Amino acid sequence: MSSLSRRNLLAGTAGGVLASVIGGHSLAFGQGAGATPKRGGTLTATWGGFEPQSLFVPPGGGSSPYFTSTKVHERLLRLNNDLGFEPVLALEVTAAEDFMSYIIKLRPNVTWHDGKPFTADDVVFNALNYWKTISAGVALKALVGAEAVDATTVRLAFDAAVPDFFLKSILAGKSGLVIPRHLYDGRDILTNPVNNAPVGTGPFKVKEWVRGSHVEFSRNERYWDPQLPYLDRLVIRWWRDPASRSAAFEAGQLDIGVFNPTPAPDIKRLDATGRFDSTTKGYDNSAWVSTIEFNSRRDIVKRAEVRRAINHAIDRSFIAETIFFGLAKPAAGPIPSSNKLFFNKDVPVYPFDVRKAGQLLDAAGFPVRNGSRFKLNVVAAGWFEENVKLGQYVKQALEDIDITVDLAIPDRATSLKRIYTDYDYDIALSNNSGAVELVPQWTQFTTSDGILKGAAFRNANGYSNPKVDDIVARLSVEIDPKKRVALAHELQVVIATDVPWTSLVEIESVTVASADVRGHSQFADFMGESWGNVWLDR
Amino acid sequence: MQRILLRRLAQIVPLLLGVIVLNFALIQLAPGSFLDVMTAEQQVSDPVLIERLRVLYGMDQPAIVQLGKYIWSVLTLDFGFSYRQNAPVLDVILHHLPATVILMLASIAIALIVGVTAGVIAAVKVNTVWDNLISLGAVFFFAAPTFWLGIMMTVLFAVKLGWLPVGGMRTIGGPGGVMADTLDVGRHLLLPAVSLGLFYAAMYARVMRAAMLEVFRLEFVRTARAKGLSSAGVVIKHVLRNALLPVVTLLGLQLGTVVGGSVVIEAVFSWPGIGSLMLDSVMSRNYPVVLGVMVLSSLIVALANAAVDLAYFKLDPRIRAR
Repeated sequence: MSSLSRRNLLAGTAGGVLASVIGGHSLAFGQGAGATPKRGGTLTATWGGFEPQSLFVPPGGGSSPYFTSTKVHERLLRLNNDLGFEPVLALEVTAAEDFMSYIIKLRPNVTWHDGKPFTADDVVFNALNYWKTISAGVALKALVGAEAVDATTVRLAFDAAVPDFFLKSILAGKSGLVIPRHLYDGRDILTNPVNNAPVGTGPFKVKEWVRGSHVEFSRNERYWDPQLPYLDRLVIRWWRDPASRSAAFEAGQLDIGVFNPTPAPDIKRLDATGRFDSTTKGYDNSAWVSTIEFNSRRDIVKRAEVRRAINHAIDRSFIAETIFFGLAKPAAGPIPSSNKLFFNKDVPVYPFDVRKAGQLLDAAGFPVRNGSRFKLNVVAAGWFEENVKLGQYVKQALEDIDITVDLAIPDRATSLKRIYTDYDYDIALSNNSGAVELVPQWTQFTTSDGILKGAAFRNANGYSNPKVDDIVARLSVEIDPKKRVALAHELQVVIATDVPWTSLVEIESVTVASADVRGHSQFADFMGESWGNVWLDR
Repeated sequence: MQRILLRRLAQIVPLLLGVIVLNFALIQLAPGSFLDVMTAEQQVSDPVLIERLRVLYGMDQPAIVQLGKYIWSVLTLDFGFSYRQNAPVLDVILHHLPATVILMLASIAIALIVGVTAGVIAAVKVNTVWDNLISLGAVFFFAAPTFWLGIMMTVLFAVKLGWLPVGGMRTIGGPGGVMADTLDVGRHLLLPAVSLGLFYAAMYARVMRAAMLEVFRLEFVRTARAKGLSSAGVVIKHVLRNALLPVVTLLGLQLGTVVGGSVVIEAVFSWPGIGSLMLDSVMSRNYPVVLGVMVLSSLIVALANAAVDLAYFKLDPRIRAR
């Protein structure tokens, strides 16, 4: 199957259901295939990046520690591929009539790995001393209190109305891990040595972490779901070199890799052997996009008509097909189309049209003089291999409409400083990622209170629009789900009209698994699930 | 000789101080701090938490105070705390060091045995097929990038033939016991040590061949031959010993590259050594670890060079006389 027809397939499955076939292999997931799960076996897994700094990093720590900690620490809820919340440690999360408080009913008879019981006190501690202060401070601004009503009931109180989907998103999201009070209370959560060997309620216990190599998890015999986990052992290993990961797959020493474990051409090659299946399912709640951002402090690019013209000059299909080897698709607006809940397709778009781009710039008062209209500083954040090529492509594309480009592709630390601390750029090529819920991750790229010097992945552009601030303020407290969607749609129209930033392509994250690995990719953020229901059919 | 050795050791103290100050300055000059990297990769966007982290890791103090504190703590053998590993720097380094030392010792041993033997054969059989083959091989292994060689050997021996593991240092949950463990590490060590070793071997072979040919022309060799010594005796006792000096010089230089030299190979074979630790730490501006590795590796370099000087005396007593 050529990548072109795969693209058609993607278009045909609109509504965010991503391709479940790559390279022509159909997939049968988990129990859906009718097979009875088998117990036992060792699964070796990896992801497309490096070893984490610690198995659990309290403020989040990015994908790597998120991958390892979520096998141990659970959350109250989880989000499935149909964007429905399922109970994990909480059986119910119910809003009061005014949505100013929530009652959480916890699962009874749950124990931590060290045998201590999991109770409402743990959740109160997490809400006040961990989520509110460390992992989800911005999102839980309105949280003013948490109390244990009884051993399995917690009441959260807010000083403003909190939408149901919003709160559940936090509880099911990256920042909602539940950590044991008895090991963290009274010690600095950030540097607690327990973070290197976390103790949780999850299906797997940390057995051994060999730094530089792997972490080994063993079955939690006292897991609250006696059926689970199916695996005896789970090993997460790290290979620094993507080509070595392909070799490990082929040598049978690696069973599953999440978040683009091998270079894109290798994914297709592995698929073609028939021994592996790849899927883009399981990433809806952690979508990645490649962005173009315009610095509103700079004279030329602060003008919306210039930004629109530049958008017309960039061929998003070329970026998706050539730079990302087809593992991306052209974006139509700021929010990825995989966001089935909030994505708005009716926003202004900027089809690739070099002539129109030129005309718009002429009309904006920037005619070509001596072969150039003006000069721009482009910073392509060098943390992804693709951004390097993207920078070179954008330079060329802008030169085609007679803009002189000074391109810099600094390393990660320097990119962060130039874009998010020094604001030293006209155009930044960066990346955003976020959950299905737009507040606060997606919204703070454009709100005025998102402007914070030195904080990465917030509003670095300095774009400030009272209308946007107002919509986001209402979105944060609107309790009617339908009205929230309408507000989100309105927000996307404003952003797509002004284009302070926009997505160039939606990056497709891929999981590659040996054909006998079952029960994977069933949740909206599979990498961060506990993997208790993954099993081996061998 | 003892005096020379003592003088050498005394030089190490100012050297270490220089290493600390210089590297600290360089890290300060590099754009972006580890706080930038940390908050970005942890996706921390809460201003309150960013400030808390700044204070926690001492980033709120002026650079000169940070430097002073660091020097003081090194004097007390405390290399600081690494946020990325959530552990003391010394623990982190000592955890990664053995793997790199094993890899370097093994590859240097391979390089010495293969390189010196090949060089001697090439020199003895100069301008024959043997010489040409060895020279060709030396050029090939010197020019071939080690990562490419590593990947090719992995594809052949691990993927196609399935004889050896793809990477890592031990079989996970592998056999217990010292013997079994040693064998297991050995199996994992083979490919990385060979791919790194062949690169150095190529260099040794070229240098050895040239040095041997030069010594062959000297008067005392002719004298030895004239005395009726066997050909093998001349080569081993008279020529080899004298030709080894340049190789020992190279060896000394290479011991100094223990940290840097293995970065690529460690990446290809996911060898849990200090090279990859260093790379990560530089990329994330994790200066406590960078400084710690620098201090320890400059110590190793200094000691290795002292050892090479001793070897010189042993091989060529005239050096001591000078």
